[in-house]
This record gives sequence, C-alpha cells and structure tokens, in this order.
Amino acid sequence: MTVSYSGACRNLFGLFLCGLVASTALSPTVAVGAEPVLQTEQSDTITLPAAGPHTILVEDAVYNHNKDGRVYVVDADHGRRLGMVQAAYNANVAQSPDGQHFYVAETTWAHGNRGQRDDLLVQYDPHTLAVLSDEKLPARALVTPKKNDLAISADGGRAYVYVMSPTNGVEVIDTHNHTVEQTVEVPGCALAYPWGNSGFSSLCADGTLANVSIGTDGKASLTHSAPFFVPDRDGVLEHSPGTHDGHMWFITDSGMVYPVKLGATDEIGTPWSLQQGAGMPVASDARAPFDVAWRPGGWQLAALHASSGELYVLMHRGTFWTHKEDGTEVWVFDTNTHKRVRRIPLPAASPIVGVTQDDHPLMFTSDEAGDLHILDARSGKLQRTMKHLGTDLVFTVAPGE
Amino acid sequence: MLPSDRADNERNGSLMDRLTENLVRRLAGQSSRRGVLARLGAAMAAVPAFPLLPVTRASAATATPAARTVKAPSPFAAHAQAKDDTACDYWRYCAIDGYLCTSCGGGIHSCPPGTAPSPTSWIGSCFNPQDGRSYLIAYRDCCGQDACDEVNCLNTDGDQPSYRPMANNDIIWCFGTGTSEMYNCSTAAIIGSTT
Repeated sequence: MTVSYSGACRNLFGLFLCGLVASTALSPTVAVGAEPVLQTEQSDTITLPAAGPHTILVEDAVYNHNKDGRVYVVDADHGRRLGMVQAAYNANVAQSPDGQHFYVAETTWAHGNRGQRDDLLVQYDPHTLAVLSDEKLPARALVTPKKNDLAISADGGRAYVYVMSPTNGVEVIDTHNHTVEQTVEVPGCALAYPWGNSGFSSLCADGTLANVSIGTDGKASLTHSAPFFVPDRDGVLEHSPGTHDGHMWFITDSGMVYPVKLGATDEIGTPWSLQQGAGMPVASDARAPFDVAWRPGGWQLAALHASSGELYVLMHRGTFWTHKEDGTEVWVFDTNTHKRVRRIPLPAASPIVGVTQDDHPLMFTSDEAGDLHILDARSGKLQRTMKHLGTDLVFTVAPGE
Repeated sequence: MLPSDRADNERNGSLMDRLTENLVRRLAGQSSRRGVLARLGAAMAAVPAFPLLPVTRASAATATPAARTVKAPSPFAAHAQAKDDTACDYWRYCAIDGYLCTSCGGGIHSCPPGTAPSPTSWIGSCFNPQDGRSYLIAYRDCCGQDACDEVNCLNTDGDQPSYRPMANNDIIWCFGTGTSEMYNCSTAAIIGSTT
C-alpha cells in the first residue's frame, strides 16, 4: 500500500510529524566539535593593570549637555577605551606625577540643574576607577575648562584649585588628609602653575606673575614678578606647557615664547619667536590685526616632551585674534636652539595636541567629530584613529606630564 | 587705562606738566593782577559781538550725518553683517563664545523663558557696518538651564585670557542670578558707543 504524503498529514498527529520532518529538512546544520559544555559565569568588574606610558586620560567636556562631562581612560597603543569616570560641568582632570592617583574637580547640583551646588575634588584609584575621596570644596571657578584650573604639586601632596567667586583665589588642598588647607587670594590673577612641592604661580592682568610660596608653617607669601608681557597687545596663552619643577614656556598670541623658571624669585628668560625658529618673519601683535601669518592657536594648544626638550605647538594660518582657531599643523621646536625641528600636517584640524613622556612618544590630536588621532610623535605618522571617542575632547593627560 | 598706555601717558604727562609750569611762571612774571582783570573784562564784553550761528549750524549738522567711509577695525568686522542676529557673523557677536539666545527662545538682549540674565558680564567692542560706529557690547549669559545646544559661535575679537576676566569669553557669568549658575545661552546687549 502506498501512503501519499498529503494523506498522512491530514490528521493532527500526522500534521505534527510532518511539520517536524519538514523543519528538520529546512534547518541549516552546524558542524560542531567535541567541545565541553560552557560553564556558568559570575559577573565581575575589570581591574586595570599598572598604566603604561601610553595609557592616557582624555577629558570630554560635552559642551552641548555640559553637566554630563566625563574622563576616558584610553590605551593609546591599541586605540581602546578602558573605562571612564564622571567629570561634571566644566570639570578638570589632573594626575599625580607618580601616577598613583588622578583627580577630577567638578560641580554638580542636587537636582540636575537646581538644588544644592557641590564643588568637588574627587580622587580616583587608576586601577579600579573607584572614588577614594569625594572632597567638598568651598568653590571652584566655573569657566570653560582651563588645564591650570587644577594642578598637582611635584610630590603629589597638594592640589591647587582656582576659584573665582568672583574674587580670585587658589584653594590649597592636602591630598593625604583630604582637607582644604587654605584659600590664597591672588587679586587680579588667575590659574595655578605649580612649582616644587609647596609653590605655585598665577598669571596676572598687568602682565606679571603672582608667585605664592607656602612655608613650613603653612603660611602663604606672595611676590610679583616684573611685568614681562603686554596683555592687551600680545597676551600669554593659558595653555602654555611646563614641568612640575616650574620650567614654563609661556607662548603668546602672536607666537613669542617666554621661557620662565617659576619660583618665589622667578627667572624670566629672553623671548624667542616660533615663526623665526621656522625661518619666517615674526608675526604681528594686536596693533596690526589684519596681518596673516602662521600662528599658534586652539585649546590645549601646546605640549612639552620634557626629557628631549621638544615643544609641540598647534599652528594655523590666520590674522591676529584667531588664537582659538584649530591647528592644521603641529610644529615641533627644540627649546634649546629655538629652531623648528619638525612640521607635522594633521589628519584634521585640531583644538588639542598632547604628547606622552616616554622615549617612543605618541602624539594626540582631535577634530570636530570628537575623534582621537594617535600619531607617532617622532615621525608624525598616523598610527590609528579612535572614531568619535567623545563629543568635545579638550584635554589629554599622559603619565608624568 | 591699559597697562601699555600707562608708560606713554606718564611720559607725556610729565612733559605737559613742565610746559604748563613754564608758561604759567612766565605769564605770572610778565603781568600784574589788574592787567589780567582788565583783559578778561574786555574779552567778556566782546563775546556777544562774535556771530554764533556757524557754530550752531555745525552742531545741528551732526544730527543727520553725511555718508562717510570708515575702515573696519578687525578682520571679523570686515566681514560682519547687520541683518541676521541668528548667525555667528552678526556684528554684535564679534567676541561671543557659546549658544546664541536668539536661536534658543530668547533675543539679542533677552533670555529664554526659564532662565535669568547674569547681572555681570564681560564687555566687548564691536563694529557695526551699518552705521560705521563701534559699540560696547555686554555678553550677558542666560542661566538656570543646561546648554541650549542650538547655534554655537566662537568669535574672539579682543578676547583675552581669564587673567583678564573683563575681556575673557570663557567665564560663566552666572554669579548672583538666583539660579543654579548653569549656562544656557549668550546675549549681546548694547551698553554704549565707543565712537
């Protein structure tokens, strides 16, 4: 007797069997090896290994919803994001010179845009990204983040937070006891450029430096340098780089560089010109605003590779008053000879330049899309790009910088 | 006064002082008190004899200025426009940094609802291509809501670092607004003429 397929599938049981046969025949088959059954898992949290020289912090200010700023931890060798922490409302980030901690100064309100305001200095463990201290500050300056709104002493024992409420001052915080030691008033001056373990300098409206020494008795004493620049003609740019022991290279709008050794008695060296170091005429200051020249500009517009004495500066072609324009090239200068030693065209115009401090340094730039470009600092060759790492990448912090 | 002007003025001031002192001493040495009074009296009597009309006409003429050519003082001013206050090249925005309140529910000198204007601000000086004059502009922030995130501008004519807060466009000026001091957007109010 022959049984037709359609006949067998007419009753309910037959329909089930036929469906099973049909689905088995249509399903793709997968060749599998003799693998063990996967084991059940426990959720856990990654702990980061000791940071290498190319593990950097990147601050994203997220200007378009500013209270949601953050700091990313980035492995620049592989272009990988390792973690992140909050950095709310025009925050600042700084790392202790020994890399044992990093700090975020931030501001929050209890109910988002209202309620009690808290200005905070948060100390983080760089391995777990856990909050080690969540210290409340008397105030902090609310301003588009300037790198030197927050600074750390050479031994990591003090943090300096610039306040403008609206009088100008610098809070001195003991990072071991997590206490605000004092607020030093710096009338007419701003920011904190640290030198040594117990001093900092601020830049002043009259073209001087205010040098603050904190004595062993805890008392602060203030001296002023002689005026060394003319702010309304050619101001010193706030994001000029330096070292923890107080060697600064203050760059002006026009491209003059003032080498300064900060201290209670500062030493201000003879200025030199970025353009002359590149074989070009000195660029004009505010008295000739229409003159077009290669000029420094951007946000984190310069970086120092301390051991080689190389100064990396973002440059663009423009008139005076273009000091916040993104750089299209990075020019690298020898701070001893004042000569340009390299000229690096960038993959995209960038508001920032950063550099690691090791013997095989990497250089970092960004762009309007929030990409992080990672280049070999010596050759200028692009190594990799982290697409849209964030929204507004304003700072990079490399170990030991 | 700007610090750079101070030295020049001090030099000029001392020269003027010396010249004035010399002139006064010479006059005092060559004239008697009665002689001075007599000459002053004669001058006062003669004043009505001088016709004042030309002076009056000149004064009246300034009410309707004739067309004149004025050079724009900065690269921004040379390309600025005076018609669209929702665009970054509008003349008053020569040194603005942030979101335009004109695109956020506010106006050129008005804050959007739900925000409050900052009582203090920094001051810029911008050139109006329509009348050839420069004006003092107060860039007052509107405060109390997070960033408006509409038209974002960054112009830097005369912008100086934060150690010169009166000329810095990065500071959030929401002090004393009674709000959270959170920045929403920027206005550009005229507060005077510089020319």
